Amino acid sequence: MTPPTGPSADRRGFLSLLGLGAVAVASGGTLAGCGDKATRGGGTQNLDKLSALIPEQKPFPGMPQPDIKGTRPVPDGYTKYPAQLVDAIADKPGTGGPAIRAMVPVWGPAPPSGRSNSYLTAINAELGATIDFSAQDGQAYADKLGAILGARDVPDLLCVPNWEVEKLARFSDAVGALFEDLTPYLQGSAVQAYPMLATFPAGAWRESCWNGRLMAVPNPTDGPFPWALFHRKDLLDKAGLTAPKSVDDLFAIGKEVTNPGKGVWAYSDIFAMVQMFHKAPGTEEGWRLKADGTPEFKYETAEYRQAAEVMARLYKAGYVHPDIVASKGADAKQLLQSGKILFHQDGPGMWQPMQAEQQKITPGFNIQPVPLFSATGGDPLAWGDDEPISYLFIKKGLGKARVEELLRIINWCSAPFGTKEFDLREFGVEGRHHTRDAAGPVKTELGFKEIQNQYFFISGRSPVLPPYPQTPQFVPQVLAYSNETVKYLEKDPWDGIKFEMPAKFKAANVPTQDKITDIVRGRRPLSDLDAVVKEWRAAGGDEARQMLGTALADAGK
Amino acid sequence: MTATTNLRASRRRHPERPAWEEDPGIAGQTAKGVVLTAVVLAVLVPLWVVLVTSLSSRDTINAAGGLVVVPRELDFSAYRIIFSGGQISKALLVSTLVTVVGTAFSLVLTVLAAYGLSRPGSVWHRGLLFYFLLTFLIYPGLVPSYLVVTGLGLKDSLWSLILPGAVSVFNLVVVRAFFQNIPGELLDSARIDGAGEFRILLRIVLPLSRAVVAVVGLFYAVGYWNIWFNALLYIDDNEKFPIQRILQSYILAGQAPQTSGAVGATLPPTLAIKMAVVVVTVAPIALVYPFVQRHFTRGVIVGAVKG
Repeated sequence: MTPPTGPSADRRGFLSLLGLGAVAVASGGTLAGCGDKATRGGGTQNLDKLSALIPEQKPFPGMPQPDIKGTRPVPDGYTKYPAQLVDAIADKPGTGGPAIRAMVPVWGPAPPSGRSNSYLTAINAELGATIDFSAQDGQAYADKLGAILGARDVPDLLCVPNWEVEKLARFSDAVGALFEDLTPYLQGSAVQAYPMLATFPAGAWRESCWNGRLMAVPNPTDGPFPWALFHRKDLLDKAGLTAPKSVDDLFAIGKEVTNPGKGVWAYSDIFAMVQMFHKAPGTEEGWRLKADGTPEFKYETAEYRQAAEVMARLYKAGYVHPDIVASKGADAKQLLQSGKILFHQDGPGMWQPMQAEQQKITPGFNIQPVPLFSATGGDPLAWGDDEPISYLFIKKGLGKARVEELLRIINWCSAPFGTKEFDLREFGVEGRHHTRDAAGPVKTELGFKEIQNQYFFISGRSPVLPPYPQTPQFVPQVLAYSNETVKYLEKDPWDGIKFEMPAKFKAANVPTQDKITDIVRGRRPLSDLDAVVKEWRAAGGDEARQMLGTALADAGK
Repeated sequence: MTATTNLRASRRRHPERPAWEEDPGIAGQTAKGVVLTAVVLAVLVPLWVVLVTSLSSRDTINAAGGLVVVPRELDFSAYRIIFSGGQISKALLVSTLVTVVGTAFSLVLTVLAAYGLSRPGSVWHRGLLFYFLLTFLIYPGLVPSYLVVTGLGLKDSLWSLILPGAVSVFNLVVVRAFFQNIPGELLDSARIDGAGEFRILLRIVLPLSRAVVAVVGLFYAVGYWNIWFNALLYIDDNEKFPIQRILQSYILAGQAPQTSGAVGATLPPTLAIKMAVVVVTVAPIALVYPFVQRHFTRGVIVGAVKG
C-alpha cells in the first residue's frame, strides 16, 4: 500500500484540508461541538455565468418514445419494455489497464465484491476494464468521505451524493485540490465524444461546477419532490373515507380512524407535509425573499408558525402513533405496511418498492399519495428542485489517456433505458441475474444479492421512469401525481447560484431542529418558538441571511 | 435520647453491628426484589423481543406492526437466509479472528507494560506513565489516525482493526494497580532465589493476577468484537468486514434516501432478518459473559481501592 498520494500542495493548503476533515466529522456527529469553531466555509458561485462550460445536450437517436410525457423536471415514463433493445456502444470503453478503484454508496447488505460477484465480472468483461468497487455504507458515507478527503486518499472514481456535499464544509477547496478538471474534456461540443453524457439535462451539468470549472459528472434526479404524503387507500376506502383536502379533513380523518384499542393511529410525523400545506418555504433549504427583497428563513415565517401549531395539535389530539411520539427511530414504514398508521410522509421513492412487496402479502394493499392542497386558500405549494442525486469525481493527475478511458466507461454506464447496455447494467446477465417474461425482466435471487446499483453510482442518465411489471399502475399514477404537483413548484430566487452555507449555520441546523421537534411534540410550549428562532439567528442564521442577500445582489437578481 | 437509641438497637438482632450490616426486613427484601426484577426485565425484555421477532414469520410481524412480543411460531427462515449468503458466516469468522488475535496481542502488551510501570525502579517510569496517560486527554483526531494507518500500509488489512487500539490506557492502569498490590516481599524472595524479571512475571505475578487478566481480557474482547468505526475507515473489501459492519448495514437497510427510480430499488431485508443478525451478533459475547463475570468484582475493585 502506498502512502496517500495527490497533487503537491503547500503546508497551509494541506492543513486547511485537514481542517476540512475535522469539520466533516463534526457535522457527521462523531465529534459534534467542534463544528461551531469553524466559522470559515461558505461561498457562492453564480452558475449562470458558466453557461459556456456546459456540455451541449443532444438526445441519443433511435431510442424508444416514452408512453407518458413528464413536465420537466418530472421525467418521462414508460409503461412497457421495448421489444427491441438498441446496441448503443459498439467498442469496449476500457483498455484493460490497471484496476479502476471506485467508491460508491450502498444501502443494505453489501454485495459480494471482486471475483466472487458474477455480475461485476460480467460487466467488467463488457467494459474491458476491471472496476474494483468499494461499496460503502450509505448511512456512514459522510464519515468515510471526511477521512479520505482530509487524508487526500481518494479513489480513481468517487461518487459523492448531493446530500453529503451539504455536510462537508469547504468542499469546494477539496474538489479543487483532489479532482480532475473535466472542463477541457466535456465543455460545449467536446462532450459529443461521449454521446450518452451528451443526453444529460443542462441543469444537472450546471450544478456540477465548482470554482468556476466543470468538475464532476452529475447523476441527474428522476424526481424533483423530496416528500409526499402517502395513505393506505385500501383501508380508507374500507372505512368509507377519502383523502384529506384541507387541514380540517386531517383532524376529521384523524378522529375517525384513530383507535388505540385496536392499535391504529392516523399519522406518522407529517410535519414537512403540513408545512407544505401551509406554504412555508422549503426548496432552498427553507429560504425565500420577503417583499422588501431580504431573505427570510422558514422559521421566521407566519406560515411555518401556523404549520407548527397544526402539527402540535395533531400530536396533542393523539392522532400520531405513540411509537413515533416516543422516539426518532420508530419504523414508520413498517407501521404503514401493517395498517397501524394510515398516513405517512416519505420520499416518493417509497411508493413502488413498498407496493410491489406488500401486495404479495396483503391482498388489496394500495398506497397512494394525497394530492397536494393549500391550507390557506389559493394554489398549493410544492417543494422541489432538480439538483442531481450524486456527482462522480475523477482523481486528479491520472493523465489524459486514463481520464478519457474513465469518461468512456462512465459513458457506457450512462446508456439510457432502451439500450442493451442499460439492460445489462440494471438487470445483469439473462438466465443468471434475471429471467425475462412477456412483461420484461424479473430479477432472480442472485440478481438481488449481487446487483446493488454499483455501476449506477458511477454513471449518470437522462432520467426516465422505466416500467415496473409487478405494479403496472405505478408509472401512470406517479406521473399523474407529479405532473399535477409540478405546476406548483416553489420558485427558487437563488436558482442558478450555488452555495456553500457557512459552517456555523450548518452546525446550528440539527440542534435547532431538535428544539422544534420538542415544541411540536408538546415537550416544550409553543410559545418557546420565538426564543428558539432568536437563538438560531444568533447561531448562524443571520450570517447565512447576509450571505444569501449578498449573493443575490452580486448576481444582479 | 439514649433511651430511644437503645430501644432501636434492642429491636435489632445484632445490636453490635452497624445498621447497614443488618439483614433487611420483609419490606426491605421486597423492595430489593422489585428493583432487581425491574432491572433484570429492562435487560431481558428487549433481548426477548429481538429473539422472538427473529423467529417470527412475516405475517406475524405484520400483524404485530413491528416487533413481536408473544411468540406464535418458530420460523427459522430468517436464519437460513442470513447464513445462506456466506457473508454473515464469513464476517463472524473475521470478527472471531480479530477478537482472539487482538485480545491475545493486547493482553501481552498491556501486561508487559503494566508490569514494567508497576515497579518504581524501572527506567523512565514516571515519564512513560505520564506519556501513556496523556492519550487519555488528547485524541489524535480522525485524519491524522487515518494518515498513520494508511501510511503504514494497513489499509484493507485486519491489523488496521487491531493495532490502532491495541493498548487501552484504562486497562493498563487497572492492571498496573493490581500488580502494585502484590506484596513486594514476594517478588524480593523470588529474586533472592535467582528469578529474573520475566520469570517473576510469569511464575509469580501472573498466577496471582488471574482475576484482573480475565476482566481486562473481557474488556478487550468486547471492544474487538464491537469494532465498527475502524472497519468503516480502513476496510474497503467487504470480504473482510467484521460482523458489526454487516449488522449495521442490515439494520439500516431500507433507509436509503428515496427517489422514485433505481436508487433503493433493492429488496430490503425483513424485520425478522434484521433481528436474526442482531441475535447472531450479540449471542457470542452474551454466552462468554457468565464465565468471566465471577472475576469481575475482584479484578476491578482491587485497583480501585488501593491506597
